[in-house]
Amino acid sequence: MEASQEARDAVGDYKAGWHDTENSTIRFDSGLSEKVVRDISELKKEPKWMTDIRIKAYKHFVNRPMPTWGNMSMLKQIDFNKVCYYLRSSDATENDWDDVPEEIRNTFDKLGIPDAEQKWLSGVTAQYESEAVYHSIREDLVEQGVIFLDMDSGLREYPDLVKKWFCSVVPFSDNKFSALNTAVWSGGSFIYVPKGVHVEMPVQAYFRINAKNMGQFERTLIIADEGSSIHYVEGCTAPTYSTDSLHSAVVELIALPGSHIRYSTVQNWSANVYNLVTKRGIAHEKSKIEWVDGNIGSKLTMKYPSVILKGEGSHAEVISVAYSGKGQHQDAGAKIHHLASNTTSKILSKSISKDGGRGSYRGMVTVSKKAENCKLNIVCDALILDEKSRSDTYPTMEVSNSTAKCEHEASVSKVSDDQLFYLMSRGHSEEEALALIVNGFFEPFTRELPMEYAVELNKLMALEMEGSIG
Amino acid sequence: MNAENKYLEVSELPNRADHLWRYTPWKKVHPTGNVNTVPKEITEPKIKLLNLDGTMVPPGIELTKGVAKEIKLPDSDVVSTNFLKAVSSNSNWILKTKSNFNTKNPILIEIETNGENNAIQLTLDIGLSNEFEIVTIIKGKPNWMGLLRTGMIGDGSNINDMTVGLQEGGTLLRVDGISLGRDAQFRTGTVSSGSERTKADLRYRMGQKGSDLRVLGSILSRDSMHLDYHIEIQHDAPQTFSRLAWHAACGGRSRTIGTGMLKVANGSKGADASQNFHNLLLSKNAEADGIPELEVLENEVVGCGHGIANGPIDEDQLFYLHARGFAPKDAESALIAAFLNSTLSKMGSTQVHDWLSRMLSSELKNMNSS
Repeated sequence: MEASQEARDAVGDYKAGWHDTENSTIRFDSGLSEKVVRDISELKKEPKWMTDIRIKAYKHFVNRPMPTWGNMSMLKQIDFNKVCYYLRSSDATENDWDDVPEEIRNTFDKLGIPDAEQKWLSGVTAQYESEAVYHSIREDLVEQGVIFLDMDSGLREYPDLVKKWFCSVVPFSDNKFSALNTAVWSGGSFIYVPKGVHVEMPVQAYFRINAKNMGQFERTLIIADEGSSIHYVEGCTAPTYSTDSLHSAVVELIALPGSHIRYSTVQNWSANVYNLVTKRGIAHEKSKIEWVDGNIGSKLTMKYPSVILKGEGSHAEVISVAYSGKGQHQDAGAKIHHLASNTTSKILSKSISKDGGRGSYRGMVTVSKKAENCKLNIVCDALILDEKSRSDTYPTMEVSNSTAKCEHEASVSKVSDDQLFYLMSRGHSEEEALALIVNGFFEPFTRELPMEYAVELNKLMALEMEGSIG
Repeated sequence: MNAENKYLEVSELPNRADHLWRYTPWKKVHPTGNVNTVPKEITEPKIKLLNLDGTMVPPGIELTKGVAKEIKLPDSDVVSTNFLKAVSSNSNWILKTKSNFNTKNPILIEIETNGENNAIQLTLDIGLSNEFEIVTIIKGKPNWMGLLRTGMIGDGSNINDMTVGLQEGGTLLRVDGISLGRDAQFRTGTVSSGSERTKADLRYRMGQKGSDLRVLGSILSRDSMHLDYHIEIQHDAPQTFSRLAWHAACGGRSRTIGTGMLKVANGSKGADASQNFHNLLLSKNAEADGIPELEVLENEVVGCGHGIANGPIDEDQLFYLHARGFAPKDAESALIAAFLNSTLSKMGSTQVHDWLSRMLSSELKNMNSS
């Protein structure tokens, strides 16, 4: 652990805050230019169409102004010229854990990735800086035609499939950060689940930033063909530095008729990471997309998992929790667009603010003119644990069809004295009681996670709650 | 710097990322659409003060022309407020009451528009421990009408305030910026069914301990109306209480918008606030949008919440009324009236409510016949 005092003060007790000695095989100079974009593409030996998209996206990024909403003062602090846009620490993506470079292996060992794979996962991708360093998938799934690769390998091995769907859900012109990601993307996951195949156990990707001032721009594309299902889990950590890193991912989900995609995230970046992510899925007839999104870490998160309900009878669900501690702003939420009839959606958002943190729910739900009989329900709950913290809710609802039934409710409160008293009268210290209440508050989220993640999240929250009394 | 220069100095148009201007761009409610100008051809509407029953008001309340002294008002939107100040510079009125003024007979302020474009600024200078009801009506057939209401509700006063938009067609730009004194109770209602396009920015500040605010809306939109209301409630003191209930029924090709902002400042311990928007969609082409926002910077609150619900008329309720002999149009009208009445009935005394109900019934008849 070599964090400076300043960084320690900034991030508090962040257990994934160590870093390894930077041992890169390729590191680009900081700063972004068309040459950097072309070099990344050339290094990866990409087809021309991908290079062209990257260049168009880069030009769009340069011309597009910063968003004029969210935490503008924090966004202005990002110095794009100080970010390293590509860093490779391993020469190849290994399929055998023992072949992964030792230092990187040690990092993921500390994070418990190989254990988890052996016990309860169908497949794993581990990404370190810009590239995937380890990748595996269960053989029986391969036999059934399931494709689970890192995105670069996906582009090499299935160029037609990638070309068909890449940028189809999140175009590069969607926002400044999707343009940035499209220009410099590297790593991420590519998944295709064939018709009728149900991947029973989750597949997982783990993202780790190790170097200072690093930018991680992974790109994930998941296609669930008709009648299939998959649960994808991602986790993220970074070391504690006093300078900032940037994580700007794009995730595209395509749920073809009758399929089901669940995408779970436990985001635990250190509090020096800007986490500006665009996540969106398209749900076709009778399909279902679920985003289960936990935001514990980062300096600023701006993330609004969204679903376009394009097919009749499709369903979307977003469960998100956010914890905002000292110096953190979690600006998270959800967006759901009901374009087809008989579509339904549910959003549950929970946030906790502590030590001067700021938790914001920002959401948008629209019902288009032609979408008959849609139902949607949004619930936002927020807890403020001290006088310095704040909580905001900015929901937008646009309803253009008279048959839609839409509900939104939100409440902000503090921890109930009665609940604290009850737990303390049964022998818990005030701190334990508070941690229990907070875990209970997040329970609708943790019960949707695989067991190991839920236990991990509860431990993380208990750690965050330490020292919150007195 | 005068208001006109202040307005002209705002070089940039309001940002549509700002929810206040998301659905109704400023140039759509500017009298000429040329936002870089302050038009000179704005006339002063006729204004009179009387009792709701047409009799003279009692002593202790007066409406006079003049400019009121500056008081601490809610934070307001610089564009619309300065514009209204600029165009109403020759039409400033003050409604002033003495301390302990009270009357059972509701007071009426009648604003009758006078020509194409009208604007008026009305300052409420409500004294200490007042108790009365006041109804402001906007009438006439203007192309454009601007109403800026600012002022202070005195400590310990208990005021029921209603603004009724009866203008036929045209655009209404309305801005409220009102502060509540210590332990003041202010119940302010909006009844709207007249103007073709409305942009209202209603802001209330509770800067003194113990104040109590209820904001109520009963909005009926029909044909191709576009009614956009922004309501901002600022809790800036301990033990302050607010409730917002906004009901809008939208028919025809109309669009209603309700955006709310509830701000609870650090130090407003014991604040209790909630806002609710309910939209009833009556036709396939109607649209209802809502953004109920919440910014809470104080943890020792009794509670802060908001809700929004959009939906069609309940088919079970329609069936119930059909089964009891109501014709389809009558059943629908009865349910719309009941929906709007749930906020209307909380706006004032029985006398005011009966008067408002009669007006609402005739508007529903207009809607059915159109």
